Amino acid sequence: MTSSILDQIRGVASDLFNVPVNRVTAASSPETIETWDSTQHLNFVLALEEKFGLQLSPEEMEQLRNVGEAAKLVESKLQAGPR
Amino acid sequence: MPIVIQPYREEHEPAVRDFNQRLQSGGAEPDLVFFTRAEPRWLPRSDVASLYQEYFVVLDNGVVRGGYALKRQDFSFPDGVTRNVAYYHHPLSEGIVNKSYATIGAMLLKDAMSRSPLLYCLGMGGYDRPLPKMLISLGWANCAIPFYFHVAHPNRFFREIQALRTSPFRTLMLNLAAWTGTGWAGVKTIQGLRKLRSSKPASFTAEPVEQFSEWVDPLWEQAKIHYAMTAVRDCQTLRTLYPASDKHFTRLRVSRGGQDIGWAVVGERRKDEKYGSMRVGSILDCWAAPENALPVIQAASATLTQQGADLIVSNQSHRLWARALEHAGFLGSQSNFIFAAGKGLSALLRPFTEKQSSLHFTRADGDGLPRNF
Repeated sequence: MTSSILDQIRGVASDLFNVPVNRVTAASSPETIETWDSTQHLNFVLALEEKFGLQLSPEEMEQLRNVGEAAKLVESKLQAGPR
Repeated sequence: MPIVIQPYREEHEPAVRDFNQRLQSGGAEPDLVFFTRAEPRWLPRSDVASLYQEYFVVLDNGVVRGGYALKRQDFSFPDGVTRNVAYYHHPLSEGIVNKSYATIGAMLLKDAMSRSPLLYCLGMGGYDRPLPKMLISLGWANCAIPFYFHVAHPNRFFREIQALRTSPFRTLMLNLAAWTGTGWAGVKTIQGLRKLRSSKPASFTAEPVEQFSEWVDPLWEQAKIHYAMTAVRDCQTLRTLYPASDKHFTRLRVSRGGQDIGWAVVGERRKDEKYGSMRVGSILDCWAAPENALPVIQAASATLTQQGADLIVSNQSHRLWARALEHAGFLGSQSNFIFAAGKGLSALLRPFTEKQSSLHFTRADGDGLPRNF
């Protein structure tokens, strides 16, 4: 996983969940961030789609269990390129 | 959990029945059930029509965990472009009764947004409900569509209105208002004063018609430019929404001096415990240039009164239709009929705070037809 993608996603999460960016790590998840509820999860998905220009399926939405997994998924989709 | 969202097909019907059963046994409200038939009875999909419904289900290894419906319909905008817009309704998730599926609700909405960039929601039961809360959190433009009512028979209103009998004191006051006649006098006075605000009485002729025909098309073409967003209301659309075979509606042709000026569709709502045994009439749809709203509302209201309605209700988004209701003696009340536009649609309605009072939305634009209006 490239650090730049992880850092960008940490920034997205920080803005969205209103948490200082230095407190957002790859392990940050709905269990550790109080404001990360199901609605904010959707906001998170939409923000990732907009920032990285990709589309996430319902199954991929489910896979975003923490910031690190989001970074892995975004990276793999960017490497796969547009379909 | 490999989850997919697919168009609802006949082969999914048994799984939907199981889903409904799990919701009910889990304690969901009785009306929270998904459509048991894959083919919509109202507005089924057609290859030629742009007005149809489609249903989608969430499948988790063949088990249905949720579903939603889209009503697709053409809308007109002031730039002269007609766009197909989807109305998102009946979202249901197993998350209601099982927290393991709490994210399904968000997935449903995400899927609908992917399938239709121009998306709206309507109704929803008020701002305190989960769906409007989610939409607001997502930054959807939103407003309450004003609600108006007219009491045709005050004594029955005060005896029957269950929605206001929320405490023993209120119940006592409502009974007193009914039994002493003070309620009758108060309502007649307030509604009469409203009518006096009308600068001049509207003159019109109203005629019930069996079905809509080509005379509505010029009205549609002439008036659509006045609205920031309105569902297409031409002859073909009206015949689909209000087919001649449906005798539950009264279709009114309103004219002045031999010239057609508008139309309305009225009907009696199905029984609702909050209204007791009152007969509740609804002005569920109407059309005219805004300056002709008053005679159309007066025609609709008079027709429902003649048909025996005790109470007449209407939701109208456009400020001049709302004003027409006031000038026809209607009173405003808190509305739980919420309009929310997704980001793609919101972009066409900027600035929303200015445009929201120029939208043309009525009860007919939700999921209320053919009966729940």
